[in-house]
Amino acid sequence: MASQVIREWVGFQQFPSATQSKLIELIRKLKQESASTMTILVMGKGGVGKSSTINSILGERAVAVSAFQSETPRPVMVSRSWAEFTLNMIDTPGLVEGGYVNDQALDLIKRFLLNKTIDVLLYVDRLDTYRVDNLDKQIVKAITDSFGKEIWHRGLVVLTHAQVSPPDGLSYDEFTSRRSEALSKIVRLGARIRKQEVKASSVPVVCVENSGRCNKNELDEKILPDGIAWIPNLLQTITEVVISESKGILVDKKLIEGPNPNNKGKLLIPLIAIFQYFFVVKRIQKWIKNDIARESRPSWA
Amino acid sequence: MASVAAHGLAIPVNRSHRRLNSANTTTGTSVTAASLHPLTIKSKLPTFSSSQNPKPSSLNTRDNSNIFATKQVQNVVKTSAAIGAGLYALSSGVSNVLLSGNGGGGSGGGGYGGGGGGGGDSFWSKIFSPAAIAGEEESQEWDSHGLPANIVVQLNKLSGFKKYKVSDILFFDRRRGSTVGTEDSFFEMLSLRPGGVYTKAQLQKELETLATSGMFEKVDLDAKTNPDGTVGVTISFLESTWQSADKFRCINVGLMPQSKPIEMDADMTEKEKLEYFNSQEQDYRRRIERSRPCLLPVSVQREILQLLREKGTVSARLLQKIRDKVQQWYHDNGYACAQVVNFGNLNTKEVVCEVVEGDITQMVIQFQDKLGNVCEGNTQYPVIRRELPRQLRQGKVFNIEAGKQALRNINSLALFSNIEVNPRPDEKNEGGIIVEIKLKELEQKSAEVSTEWSIVPGRGGRPTLASIQPGGTVSFEHRNLYGLNRSILGSVTTSNFLNPQDDLAFKLEYVHPYLDGVYNPRNRTLRTSCFNSRKLSPVFTGGPGVDEVPPIWVDRAGLKANITENFTRQSKFTYGLVMEEITTRDESSHISARGQRVLPSGGISADGPPTTLSETGIDRMAFLQANITRDNTKFINGTIVGERNVFQVDQGLGVGTKFPFFNRHQLTMTQFIQLKQVEEGAGKAPPPVLVLHGHYGGCVGDLPSYDAFTLGGPYSVRGYNMGEIGAARNIVELAAELRIPVRNTHVYAFAEHGNDLGTSKDVKGNPTEVYRRMGHGSSYGVGVKLGLVRAEYVVDHNSGTGAVFFRFGERF
Repeated sequence: MASQVIREWVGFQQFPSATQSKLIELIRKLKQESASTMTILVMGKGGVGKSSTINSILGERAVAVSAFQSETPRPVMVSRSWAEFTLNMIDTPGLVEGGYVNDQALDLIKRFLLNKTIDVLLYVDRLDTYRVDNLDKQIVKAITDSFGKEIWHRGLVVLTHAQVSPPDGLSYDEFTSRRSEALSKIVRLGARIRKQEVKASSVPVVCVENSGRCNKNELDEKILPDGIAWIPNLLQTITEVVISESKGILVDKKLIEGPNPNNKGKLLIPLIAIFQYFFVVKRIQKWIKNDIARESRPSWA
Repeated sequence: MASVAAHGLAIPVNRSHRRLNSANTTTGTSVTAASLHPLTIKSKLPTFSSSQNPKPSSLNTRDNSNIFATKQVQNVVKTSAAIGAGLYALSSGVSNVLLSGNGGGGSGGGGYGGGGGGGGDSFWSKIFSPAAIAGEEESQEWDSHGLPANIVVQLNKLSGFKKYKVSDILFFDRRRGSTVGTEDSFFEMLSLRPGGVYTKAQLQKELETLATSGMFEKVDLDAKTNPDGTVGVTISFLESTWQSADKFRCINVGLMPQSKPIEMDADMTEKEKLEYFNSQEQDYRRRIERSRPCLLPVSVQREILQLLREKGTVSARLLQKIRDKVQQWYHDNGYACAQVVNFGNLNTKEVVCEVVEGDITQMVIQFQDKLGNVCEGNTQYPVIRRELPRQLRQGKVFNIEAGKQALRNINSLALFSNIEVNPRPDEKNEGGIIVEIKLKELEQKSAEVSTEWSIVPGRGGRPTLASIQPGGTVSFEHRNLYGLNRSILGSVTTSNFLNPQDDLAFKLEYVHPYLDGVYNPRNRTLRTSCFNSRKLSPVFTGGPGVDEVPPIWVDRAGLKANITENFTRQSKFTYGLVMEEITTRDESSHISARGQRVLPSGGISADGPPTTLSETGIDRMAFLQANITRDNTKFINGTIVGERNVFQVDQGLGVGTKFPFFNRHQLTMTQFIQLKQVEEGAGKAPPPVLVLHGHYGGCVGDLPSYDAFTLGGPYSVRGYNMGEIGAARNIVELAAELRIPVRNTHVYAFAEHGNDLGTSKDVKGNPTEVYRRMGHGSSYGVGVKLGLVRAEYVVDHNSGTGAVFFRFGERF
């Protein structure tokens, strides 16, 4: 899988020229940071539009999508290069199965990612679901447990189906911000980011709309109801995250299997043994001595 | 295939209480005290050896599958322990009471109590040997008195040739002028029985006995003729009495030389008499001084003093009562050989009670061959001597309880088929006791072969001839090497002798007791053994709803050497070195390095958690193992009460595959709290008991899956299968059980909880999660104990469903 063919980013040419120029600008910025490759991991529940988002970013139908069923049984990486810049996007199967976090899917993803560096994590969910529940938290937690807390420093929350009519009595902006708020909170809880850290590393929230019926502006860019051209916006945010934050997450064996629990506290063993001898064994011996002293003896003894 | 480990083997040794025969004496100058028939109690001492190595049995037919029928090798060795306790025959013509012809009139205030009635030289001793001359010659024929009815005939007027039938006996107290009831202690002294037939000579002898007993100043026997030819006997007496006393002293005169009364010359002058009395008095004072203090506690002495003060004058009957009281105390406390032999210093302010307590002058250990002849034993004497209570040593007073203790202790050596602890009187040393311990040794070497055939289901489930396999056990034992109770035992068990490599279970053990020398009171035993075992790993078990997890068998083979120091019967400290090789196998006996798991698709993938540290399926390691057990539990009316704490630690040494270095420890605390004070005794109801139990297990360092702590199971959290809750690095189990006695069993209610403390993920491969287990779980339920079986209804809190279980043995 490592020897995957890196194809030309054909879809790049398909973008409207305004978008193209913005992207060239971003790539130039990234190259300045001496990053000629960028790997984006896309994760989320099933059917929220992970694959569609990838297709939108790449501007082509790179991964199979279907409206009614999950089309991604195992992780897939698509790589596109343009002007000596390689963009890797990893599509993953949905993390939820039957109301539970699918550990096996997660396991599969972990193995797939072995020896790869993740620059950005896109956590995808829908904008048009109104509530967050414990399951969302579980998913975030599962991701955190697998890749470590640091991944959220490189994480983005992507809300799909952004072209939505908000429920009655709410403006679009208000609805979007509420929903972003709710998801950020979930991420914070699931990733166990402490309150103090929140400011330093708030996870950015970006809205996208993958539908072909997405509104477009005068420059032929796909825009959201609030008028933002979302593809350049998304990539801009990604770039910001890549530039501003620390290193990408290298997925190695250690990360997948966690720290070797057998090595934890090994150096303390001699101390533990000494403690056990003096404070447990000796204590029990003292108890036994007391027992012997207190033992009721027969009258003749 | 789950083997049920019995918590402890009880060796039933029935020991009935020693039966005290009534005193059987013959009149005469020497008194033979009661003698006892030695009782022999046989006890069965079963030695259980359970099968070590159950083979993984897969019921689906494969080439190596078979039913492994474990046969418990029941090596029933009959050990009979016998305790024979005989009251020694005390031959003593004890008498230091001065004879004064007409009773101690107290002419000299310091004069000894003189027995009345011209007593013989040992009348007091006779008081205490209630006459029981058998008037057993009850011939059918008796002669009529041949006299007119209703006349009183004096004894010497009776015919010497006739056999008189005695219709009734009356005691007439001349001082009080009334007859004495039959419950009076005087009746004990009499051998005559109403309805008996006696000759004149017998009646005369009886009268003589009474007269010489010292109880009476004057005693007469009259016969009253009845119309039917029988006679009624009336014994009229004048009871001996002495000056009132306000002091009481009890002395042990055992092993002291008898004071010889100097014949008093009838022609002595008054001065001579006085001198004589004085010298007697001095002698007696010296005797008291030389005598040893007796065991009688102050409280009993005070009671007796009370009695003396209440009664005023000291009468024979009072002395009898005191004697009974003193002897009663001795016998109640197990001093079976103690006898009140005399009362001295009567007619002074002090009553001196002389007791022969039964001092042990010698202890003899004797070996007997099968025919009961004395022979030379193989066992060295110190081995037996160290089992004997201090109280049985020379110079101590013999106590029957100490004798029983000795019997139990010797029995626990398991070296003898018959044990007798027998006290007998020391002929050379009056009042002394020789304790004889008679032992029959068991055969030193024994070997046993037991075979069995197991029929294996063949095709279609029908047993086929081709699959009948010879299986069984070969064992040998060499006990009591060098007479120091060292032993070697070995056994080999297989279900198929033709193809033993499949499931050969072996054990070879060498036991070396008295490591610090047989004379050293420190009791340390060295055990070295070579063993193997095969167990189903509870780590590779599915959680609720998981269909079937392919099992993993853990084979261990290795060497073990440890030293056990016994502090008490139950508390001990064991420490030693274990070197073992662990092999993990799947159900078809192939070495498997990883657990298997069933994929949702139904396939089996072999990428489960690693089974061994080396990840090859074979680990070798050496570690130190220490276990300290503190157990002060005891049985109150059959219910266990007390406290038990066990701490065990396995300390890896970094020797072995992958240099395993670890500290695996577990602490168990169990408390049996008695909720109500009850009276102890056979047949009494046991108290209700609250059992609190806590168990902590933890491991730091290298932890292979077979050493992970598992939760769930009949000895962990009831209501779950073995390991159904999880397998973790650190665990906590908590349990509470309330036991209420009902009739002769008990019912109980309990609640239990087990928790992995979030450390399931710290076991490599996280088997808890892989097999979809919760990692924590509670249960509660009720149950009833039916003999050895516990029947209980348990609700498993994780799934909320209840089930009925039947289990053997105790949970705690």
